[in-house]
Amino acid sequence: MIEIKNLAKKFKIENPKKLSEQEKKDPRLVGRFFHSVLDVSFKCEKGQVLGLLGPNGAGKTTTLRMLSTALKPDSGSLAINGINVLTTPLLARQKIGFLSGSTGLYGRLTGRENIEYFGQLHGLSASKTAQRIEELADLLDLHSFLDRRCENFSTGMKQKTAIARAVVHEPEVVILDEPTTGLDIMATQTVLEFIRRLKAQGTPVIFSTHHLDEVDELCDKVVVIDKGRTMFDGETAAFRALADGSLHQAFMASISQSTAQV
Amino acid sequence: MWLVFLKELKELLRDKKTLFFMIALPLLIFPLIFGGVAFVTKQAIEKAETKVLKYAMVGAEYAPVIVDHLQQPDKFELVDIGAETDYATLIRNETIDFVLIIPNSYNSDVLSAGQSTIQLYLNDAGLNLVYKRVNEIVKEQSDRFQLEAFSTLGLEASQQQALLEPIVLEKVNTADDRENWGEKIGGMLPYLLFILCLQGAMFPATDIGAGEKERGTLETLLISPIDRNKIVFGKFFTIAFAGTMTALITVVSMAGWGLVLSQGMAVKFVADFMGQIGVLDFILIFLMLVPVVAIFAAVLLSISIYAKSFKEAQSYMGPLVIFVIIPVILALLPGVELKGGWAWVPLTNVALAMKELVKGTMDYFQLIAIFGSTVLIAGALIAFCVYWFKQEKVLFR
Repeated sequence: MIEIKNLAKKFKIENPKKLSEQEKKDPRLVGRFFHSVLDVSFKCEKGQVLGLLGPNGAGKTTTLRMLSTALKPDSGSLAINGINVLTTPLLARQKIGFLSGSTGLYGRLTGRENIEYFGQLHGLSASKTAQRIEELADLLDLHSFLDRRCENFSTGMKQKTAIARAVVHEPEVVILDEPTTGLDIMATQTVLEFIRRLKAQGTPVIFSTHHLDEVDELCDKVVVIDKGRTMFDGETAAFRALADGSLHQAFMASISQSTAQV
Repeated sequence: MWLVFLKELKELLRDKKTLFFMIALPLLIFPLIFGGVAFVTKQAIEKAETKVLKYAMVGAEYAPVIVDHLQQPDKFELVDIGAETDYATLIRNETIDFVLIIPNSYNSDVLSAGQSTIQLYLNDAGLNLVYKRVNEIVKEQSDRFQLEAFSTLGLEASQQQALLEPIVLEKVNTADDRENWGEKIGGMLPYLLFILCLQGAMFPATDIGAGEKERGTLETLLISPIDRNKIVFGKFFTIAFAGTMTALITVVSMAGWGLVLSQGMAVKFVADFMGQIGVLDFILIFLMLVPVVAIFAAVLLSISIYAKSFKEAQSYMGPLVIFVIIPVILALLPGVELKGGWAWVPLTNVALAMKELVKGTMDYFQLIAIFGSTVLIAGALIAFCVYWFKQEKVLFR
């Protein structure tokens, strides 16, 4: 289970003059600090798929980065299966499979070498890593390009390899930051199918997305973040009920709440 | 840490740019460039030496012997310029290469006629050897006139010599060959090694810091269950390795090509000179380089990890070359020796120590202080690098 309580994070603005007019009007800008996340709380139980929604700049990526231990929150708490992420980050990292939005791969390594490297970093033995790579290659259809250098991969190939790399160590929780962005229909289907499998295995999955059809298809739970705060946290059915069954309208209704709050 | 190091190294060795800068450039390109420049220079000198020079002469009737010497069709060609006196234009138009003007006072009896001045008009810009070739002829005449004058005066050989050079300052050099050549070569050695180490480390540093940020792989690495210190040290050792290897390959390549290309005498000189430098001195020179490379690697990694992109990192690293050249140039200045305050100036002290080692005049006890202080600076910079690598404002700019 993933549990996030009252998470907050601010960043110092290096050069306020470089801010756009829209950024200058953002109520989260206080003095030289931008409060990216003000108060975010939610839970994701075992076997649940949680869709994290929110407009650009809402604080989704910052929240996921804090959960992945890449960033330290200013306040609040984070726990994964009872492990305190803030006090034992190295232990927490072993439990997390994280796919960032940038899908970066080492271009001069092959797909296999990329996955192998992260398997080794997670302390897997050579034989276990090789076994996991074969399993993931079957699951994500990687065989045709696994031994080619990543520098010439298509976006779909990169994303599949990045997902394999993120879960090579069989993490207890999986966090995916916009995993289908920029993918074609076939690659998107492979990724969504993979999330379904994780769910079937009982692995909690949090994924941020802008595609409401994916939320409709996969998610048990929805969390909407806007202007650094949790605006909705509940079952997908409850979210849909906010606007008579339309996810799009429900999303707009959640966002308008935050605008009203401001 | 070694896992990170080996992965970085594998990526590095698969990169064509790195292979070019680290191996191809020092092994093939540098020797080709140096060889090419030497070949072109030699050709240009040969051409200048054998070119038939077109000339005009005014007052030829006063110096018949010089006229005779210039009558060599394979070397000189007389051109009739009539009454034209704008010699500069004639030379600029390449109608002639030089004009020789003999004064009417020109006389072989220097005792009565005094000194003669012959004017030589030429375009002396560039490599043309006109002055040298004409002077050989004029000098021969000048020497002959001198001897005739001495003979007229009835001077003996010893008197002639004393008259030509009344006082001789004889140099008795207490420095041996190693010290003499060590002063010259030893001063340049750190310059070459430092710059090569820095250049060799620059590209890998950019690639594994800012490059990793730009490609989006850094975040994934940061959330893997490996201590950040180990990530920093893995990357740090890769950069240091690349810098050291570039310097070693270049020096070995230059020495090898030098031996292959140079003639017998040069080989003997190189062999004699190298023979005088002990194995211990070579080892010490290399050991002195280790903390220097560590300083470079720590600074480069700190810059690279701060930069948002490859391009930004390169723009920050460019001026570093100047910061490295200045302390080495200081070590080349006259009067700057491995004494007092200079022994504590970073990089300058190592450059001075390397020179002393090559010269064979090193006070080995001083090495401990120099090595110790450089290691201390390198250690502080590595510590800063580790601290820097843990800062969110640096990693997620």
